[in-house]
Amino acid sequence: MELLNLKYEKYKLSNGLEVILHQNKNIPLTAVNIWYKVGSAQEKRGKTGIAHLFEHMMFQGSEHVAKEIHFRLIQEAGGSLNGSTSFDRTNYYEKVPSNFLELALWLEADRMGFLLPALDQEKLDNQTKVVYNERMERYDNQPYGLAWELLITNLYNKSHPYSWPTIGFAEDIKSYTLEDVSGFFKKFYSPGNASLVVAGNLEIDKTKFIVEKYFGDIKSNNKVNHLDVPTFELNETKTIIHKDTVQLERIYISWLTQKAFDKDDATLDILSDLLAGSKNARLYKSLVFEKEIAQDVSAFQFSGKYGGHFTIVATAKPGKSLEEIKSEIFREIDNIKTIGIKSSELKRSKNGIKSSFVFSLQNLDTIADHLNLYNFYLDEPNSFAFDLNRYESVGKEEIIKVISNYLTNSFIELRIIPKNKIS
Amino acid sequence: MKFDRSIIPSPSPVSLFNVPEEEIIKLDNGLQIFHIKKSELPIVLVKVVINAGSKYDPSDKKGTFNLLSMCIDEGAGEFNSLELSEQFDLLGTSFSIHCNSDNIQLTFQTLKENFNKSLDLLSKILTEPHLKNEDFEREKRKIQTRLQQLKDDPDYLANVSFESILMGNQNPYSFPVLGVENNIEQIMLEDIIVSHKNFIFPNNAFVIVTGDIDKNELSYILNKNLSGWQKNSLINKLKLENKNDIHKVYIVDKKDSVQTEIRVGHHSSDRNSKDYFAKHLLNTTLGGQFTSRINLNLREKHGFTYGAGSNFNYYKDYAYFSVYTSVGIDETYNALKEIFHELNNIRNGVTEEELNFAKSSIIRKFPSNFETYKHITSNLAGKIIFGLPDDYFKRYIENINSVPLNDVNKAAAENIFPDQITTVLVGDKDKLLEQLKSNKFGEVKIYESEE
Repeated sequence: MELLNLKYEKYKLSNGLEVILHQNKNIPLTAVNIWYKVGSAQEKRGKTGIAHLFEHMMFQGSEHVAKEIHFRLIQEAGGSLNGSTSFDRTNYYEKVPSNFLELALWLEADRMGFLLPALDQEKLDNQTKVVYNERMERYDNQPYGLAWELLITNLYNKSHPYSWPTIGFAEDIKSYTLEDVSGFFKKFYSPGNASLVVAGNLEIDKTKFIVEKYFGDIKSNNKVNHLDVPTFELNETKTIIHKDTVQLERIYISWLTQKAFDKDDATLDILSDLLAGSKNARLYKSLVFEKEIAQDVSAFQFSGKYGGHFTIVATAKPGKSLEEIKSEIFREIDNIKTIGIKSSELKRSKNGIKSSFVFSLQNLDTIADHLNLYNFYLDEPNSFAFDLNRYESVGKEEIIKVISNYLTNSFIELRIIPKNKIS
Repeated sequence: MKFDRSIIPSPSPVSLFNVPEEEIIKLDNGLQIFHIKKSELPIVLVKVVINAGSKYDPSDKKGTFNLLSMCIDEGAGEFNSLELSEQFDLLGTSFSIHCNSDNIQLTFQTLKENFNKSLDLLSKILTEPHLKNEDFEREKRKIQTRLQQLKDDPDYLANVSFESILMGNQNPYSFPVLGVENNIEQIMLEDIIVSHKNFIFPNNAFVIVTGDIDKNELSYILNKNLSGWQKNSLINKLKLENKNDIHKVYIVDKKDSVQTEIRVGHHSSDRNSKDYFAKHLLNTTLGGQFTSRINLNLREKHGFTYGAGSNFNYYKDYAYFSVYTSVGIDETYNALKEIFHELNNIRNGVTEEELNFAKSSIIRKFPSNFETYKHITSNLAGKIIFGLPDDYFKRYIENINSVPLNDVNKAAAENIFPDQITTVLVGDKDKLLEQLKSNKFGEVKIYESEE
């Protein structure tokens, strides 16, 4: 599909910063998107969550930009901004009216090169409290909010960098010192460990000039070593029961699978859609629509640079047992192997995925972030068509093979059950 | 390159932006279609908005219209529920139905090549829904379980309790769209069928089509598919009366919560009031953005919360003002103190600098409100639902720009009333009562919902 062939220019500054430019003049906006190749996977136990806390500190001002001014200037320009942290990377992004591109680049350069002089204890104390509240709001105080943490801490072995949550353990969040934060910056926040995408209504030559002006003389630190993650297997199936303030019981079943963009990664995505992505999906139809033993069901393949897992989640209808739901889940998985897959099922999934690729081109932030994502995982920003083709080339045999290869292995079973039922 | 990094770069000349413009197609049955042509991508987005929201729910059957919206695509024309869903999926069309207080909205987004077939399916849903008992009963059980599940969700509890307490039961907007638990059982298929007959008809709806399709082609297809949709006339009249039980604090007990969900607010003037733009600028300074006073105080200064803000919330026939946040439970008192401080303080007015900042932010952000097809369509839908002038978006920047400081300060005095605040707190009752002993924010009551 020619539409998915995005033109871009990629080059490196002398300090190692990768720059990717993409012109799109549909609307007078420009997106700036930086990926730092550091996420919670690079943390040490005892200091989990620091990559994410650090993301917050990046919004607290730098040598030439006072606290709150980054936000103020972008909002005054009519732009939007944010950042996010995952296992593998931390990203920062602005979308501004295109005539304010230089402002966004100046701000990003200042915190890439000149963050430390502005760092102080008061800001750290403040953001530690904010992040602690973020953890409470998004996880501890949410029904089923600790499920992800319970899954990954049991699924990955203790030395695997995905065995702790990106938000950080509650006790770790309160432990960071200024030295931890500045040490983290010195180690990971360097132009040589980042890639900058500028996408939207821009002129290539002029943008190159501005990028060089603001980022060109930022010094690079030592090169960051690639994490060495030994492979491991889950040797036995484990069941975890967790009591929570919930009304309905919920079951999670999770298997170790494959890394992002690995051979079976897309196949597992399609499998998740076949199982739970629509009303006619096997598990939805059986558990929710026909038997009505579950209120909802979902399935997803999570994959990152250092590992991946496939998870099925179902919430029991009142009075229905998780045991029954679990056996139905395994029966349906088995059915795919024994009865096979209909062509229409596969077509349904593939057409949905194809549409979503085209739909995603409406949003500049999404385009910019994907250029960085593809560059990070595949070393080729223009991989939209390649990515879609991963899905379009999946056949029935591959789906049955991933079931045999992964979904018949040991798994983690998590049950979240009501602590105190309201009548 | 040597230069002074402390100098803020100035912007280059602004690029031109034109608001997407709609054209109107009218069918003989009274259906109006608003068409916005966009051809950068081979995508078409269609939204049908029907004046049939939960505000019309019968008083003892709250949840009727949401249930109708859940049932309406459970089979239509020659397709049963599963087949219909399959048809959309095979086209790669994402189709959804959403019910809110004012409307039921049916939306699909599709690739251009599948527009005709997708519209054909949508037309069947609009004109030939099955509304069969078996499907109705299943959806009814689903919403019953959903309501039970939502008792766990602090955010939902806070919103629903706040609206209910603030407005009182003579205001139809005070009830949750999803309904109330002890009403759902009373709703029968007959209620759904009657609501459908009385509300789902072309002259009680409008359609927006945004994307890569020509007006002539669109007109032809719409006539072919939807001209048979039967006209009707609307018989329901909405009665709305507000409760004025002011300056009280209601605790919704949620044992073992580690945070308190806070909502404080009061009634406000509606969307068509003359000072809308002044109110919008006012709120941008007070709580509409990250850098607004409330968030800077509660988050960036005190670290009480991950985020806090305020809104004027507009329904078609009602509006209210509210501040929202969630804070560590031990900080509840301190957070409320700061919120009330900000509300009192804003009545002294905003500064020229704050106003200029708000104007700049809103005006320069304007083009990005039209970035995606969803943005464009929902903006236009808002204009039509609230009956705003045709040239509303064309004159938007001018309208923001021309509000003087005096008007914003007048809007603060006329729209923010700290002594009329209703406060709702969702959290652990025992920990909250201890902090609120002094009745500083109003008399404290434990809220028991009517179920």
